[in-house]
Amino acid sequence: MSSEVSERVAEPMLVEDWERLTFRVNREAYRSPEIFARERVDVWLRTWLYLGHETEIPDVNDFKVRTIAGRPLIFCRDTEGQVRAWLNSCPHRGTVLCRETEGSQRRFQCFYHAWTFNNDGTVAAIPDDGAYEDIESLQKNMMLRSVPRLEIHEGYVFISFNPDVPPLLEHLGDAADYMTMIEQQHASGVTTLPGVQLYSVRGNWKLAVENAMDGYHFSPTHNTFVGYLRESGFAVTDDDQYAYNLGNGHSLLVLTGHGGRISMVWEPRFGEDEKVRTEEHRAEMVERLGEERAHYIADESHILFVFPNLLLFDIEGLSIRQLEPVAPGHTDVRAWQLVPREEHPDSRSLRMKTVVSFVGPGGLATPDDIEAYEAVQRGIEATRGAGDLDYSDMSRGMRDEVKGEQGRSIDEGAMRGFWRYWEEAVGGGLQVTGDRPAGFLEGRNVR
Amino acid sequence: MTQADVRGQVEVAGRTITRGDVEDFLYAEADILDAWDYDGWFALFEEGARYEVPTTDYRGWSLHTGGSFVDDDYDLIKARVKRLKSRKAHAENPHSRTHRMISNVRLFPGEEDGTLRIRASFVAHRARDGQFDTYVGWYEHVVVPTDDGLKYRLRRTILGHEALPVGARLSFIL
Repeated sequence: MSSEVSERVAEPMLVEDWERLTFRVNREAYRSPEIFARERVDVWLRTWLYLGHETEIPDVNDFKVRTIAGRPLIFCRDTEGQVRAWLNSCPHRGTVLCRETEGSQRRFQCFYHAWTFNNDGTVAAIPDDGAYEDIESLQKNMMLRSVPRLEIHEGYVFISFNPDVPPLLEHLGDAADYMTMIEQQHASGVTTLPGVQLYSVRGNWKLAVENAMDGYHFSPTHNTFVGYLRESGFAVTDDDQYAYNLGNGHSLLVLTGHGGRISMVWEPRFGEDEKVRTEEHRAEMVERLGEERAHYIADESHILFVFPNLLLFDIEGLSIRQLEPVAPGHTDVRAWQLVPREEHPDSRSLRMKTVVSFVGPGGLATPDDIEAYEAVQRGIEATRGAGDLDYSDMSRGMRDEVKGEQGRSIDEGAMRGFWRYWEEAVGGGLQVTGDRPAGFLEGRNVR
Repeated sequence: MTQADVRGQVEVAGRTITRGDVEDFLYAEADILDAWDYDGWFALFEEGARYEVPTTDYRGWSLHTGGSFVDDDYDLIKARVKRLKSRKAHAENPHSRTHRMISNVRLFPGEEDGTLRIRASFVAHRARDGQFDTYVGWYEHVVVPTDDGLKYRLRRTILGHEALPVGARLSFIL
């Protein structure tokens, strides 16, 4: 669609005003097919993307099929144990090579002409290959197409379609340690489980990012869930909850007093037996990690956004959420439970029940978040082409930011950081009025 | 197919339960849910009952050992009902219009004494926000005959989808 369709597309994309202390985002960012196409190239095909967790394919020959940035992929562990990401497309004519969603296979065979590939990418068989001039170079040229880059941090497997992307740890920056903190929660490490929530929302992917970094919505949007928590004996507070920009588009909410944390912060709804196990586990953590590190890992809830498609919810329990934009107003969401490898069966079942009661399209809270993204996506049609009215406001907390005070989770500073980084990548213009603070508050030392 | 299924009736704790009894129970529940009578719905559960909706990749594991969409014990069913009756359950305020069709009803003796296992198919349609969403799947319930009619011990909804389609969140009872 060309811009002449909408009469008056407002410019620029972001408007930052340090005299009036306002920050506004152009709503075309949520709905424009042109911007969506630019994002594909300038974000999704350029940076690191979360593919999956190593524990989803624990054994050699395990595979999952997954679409990332619109590209169908095979995420597998080859016969030698190496984690691979292949384009799920036969090099011969482009047919989808693996039409199962998951399984265990040493080879992938294309049904169309029976070309067969080993899971390390090499050609296993091309039927009647005597018809080709040079079989050796044919086999070399027809290896499975690999995603150009793949790196793993603490079991989180990232890929990039950009061969020149900087190393993963450079991209993750300060976000990397919060992933390590999750791994360190339990001496046995953590693993994903089967039972993946696959669902779709009628909303732009960036609305899902904003929602996760937005503590301001929690009380009004999740009124009924907060009520349930109160009834079960837990006080919910917005005090002492902060938002951090971690750089490179990543952001973090640090929440305390937000809810219990299974095996780390006990609350009455978890029951008396769990109290004893929690105390034992905390003692073990202090011994293994030291008092201060154990405190940061155990006592705080973290919601971590790793730009652009990974959300880690380290709250009552652990879950991984992956965002896959399909169209400007359509996002696929995938969510995995992450659990300690070794855990008392009662704690495990409490964990499963508790996490699902909040998170996911059947929980007591996430449906209201989905309602919010979808209601924004529909509501912004009202201002389409309406120039200056076609902006969303994210100014909350700028008043404290200019004073050098750390932004609260119920402010909108994490969103502003996300949008500035997004605009650098995608463009569209950032208009700044007045004097910006010398530096935006970023990160903190938890090591 | 078991012998019990061929006859279309099962003996449970001295009572004879027919397919007609089970169909009446399921149809009545469908009316209750479509009419948004959540107190009436909660009354269909015995104390300690569970409500489960496994994820679409479900291969039969216990929901205590894997992820799910809904893993409610009795307290959570109660909390869910309270939520859905509240005007602050934004995802269902205003309510979705729902319409349910239930068929292929079969009944089997339950694994536990005094219980009955039900298997049935459903199609549910949901209209809201100018959209029309379809849900299909199977019920795999465990019910207990009581003097007050059949009661759920386990209400389990198995989705027939590969993933929850766009817009099709489980904000109401499926």
